[in-house]
Amino acid sequence: MTTRPVGLTRDLPAGRVMHAQADGKDMVVWRATDGTIAAWDNRCPHRGMALSHGFVRGNRLACLYHGWHYDRSGRCGLIPAHPDLEPPATIHATQYGVVETGGVIWVSADEAPAPDDSDLAPLRSFIVEASEDALRDAQEATSADGAPPAPEASDRVSVLCNPIEPGRTQVTVLTAPGLPLPRLRTLSRWCEAMRRQAEAKETA
Amino acid sequence: MTAFTLYNYVLSGNCYKIRLMAGILDVKYDTVAVDFYPGFEHRQNHMLALNPAGTLPVMTIGEQVLTDTQAMLAWIALNHDPSGTWYPAADPMLGPLVQQWLAFSGRLTNSAGLAGLHSMLNWPIDGEAARRAAIKDLRELELHLTDRVFEGKTWLVGDHPTIADIACFPYVALSPDAGLDHDGYPAIRNWLYAVRSLPGFVTMPGIHHLHELREGADG
Repeated sequence: MTTRPVGLTRDLPAGRVMHAQADGKDMVVWRATDGTIAAWDNRCPHRGMALSHGFVRGNRLACLYHGWHYDRSGRCGLIPAHPDLEPPATIHATQYGVVETGGVIWVSADEAPAPDDSDLAPLRSFIVEASEDALRDAQEATSADGAPPAPEASDRVSVLCNPIEPGRTQVTVLTAPGLPLPRLRTLSRWCEAMRRQAEAKETA
Repeated sequence: MTAFTLYNYVLSGNCYKIRLMAGILDVKYDTVAVDFYPGFEHRQNHMLALNPAGTLPVMTIGEQVLTDTQAMLAWIALNHDPSGTWYPAADPMLGPLVQQWLAFSGRLTNSAGLAGLHSMLNWPIDGEAARRAAIKDLRELELHLTDRVFEGKTWLVGDHPTIADIACFPYVALSPDAGLDHDGYPAIRNWLYAVRSLPGFVTMPGIHHLHELREGADG
């Protein structure tokens, strides 16, 4: 398996939780109050509830169903219905690999290596209802447009794909760092144009 | 003495907008429960006499009747927000921008709102068409909120939350119930979180409090 981009660092502030998918795995990605990030199988070891519905309290992730708390190692640290019980060490969320480089959150279900650091800056993360192939064709077609909102060479646009299911792809777009605000807005609209083109092709 | 009477259905996103705005501005009001479903009371004569459009909510302020949700939000803000920030009506740019997103919220009612009625109450409409329209609207909102992220801003308009944020909030927050998950909408997710963090925030079925803002069992 490979390492997949599932979102942007800026979109997951401290104390927040999100759902992610990569290589057929359902994941919860969350950031503790102290800023550290974790990616787990999206399943509470207690009753199987999606942990992505949960909430962060301090440096633990709490399940929304019965409030069981898990620390960053994935170990259960509190069962609110039995507050005096020391939870057994066997109650443990399944951990995946997660790293952040260049403002992008990358996950892997095994020990796949982290991607190389890049000097590019994140623009947007979004989902396209089309295959990665259709998205790549649309990227090429809309880039060759030569008119706004198409990117220019100086934008140094890079498009990362995370195929989440057949005909559904999570897309992360990076650009040269420090672009002015109007340029960011224009390139964000190019993302929309690329998506429209990919989805039109998919349904054609 | 209450400020107004709300003809209310607890599962309606539009009725919730009024309860939410009143909650945030700490405005006291009376409610009259209307059996929207399964009773269709909003289409019965006594309700049509009050609001010929047959929609909910309906707001009465003494003898005066308001039948448009966004107009009700404007009334609450203009009468009960001493700061004037919730509806900057007289501002030559912010005022029109608020109007624009209030109008957008009406589109959400007819896309994500209808998709929700189809999913939850088997409403006799083309559910797939409603979902397609909702995705188009969610993407438009995400594009705008991403622009706002580039600018370092949180709210739809200006530097403060406005009635436009309240008007757009419910049907976006409820859209996962209609099968429209928020996975591809990070800017929307963070904006929803900001609305739910507002002091005085109130809930409705399907939109709960942020537990992390409350005191926990472990302190």
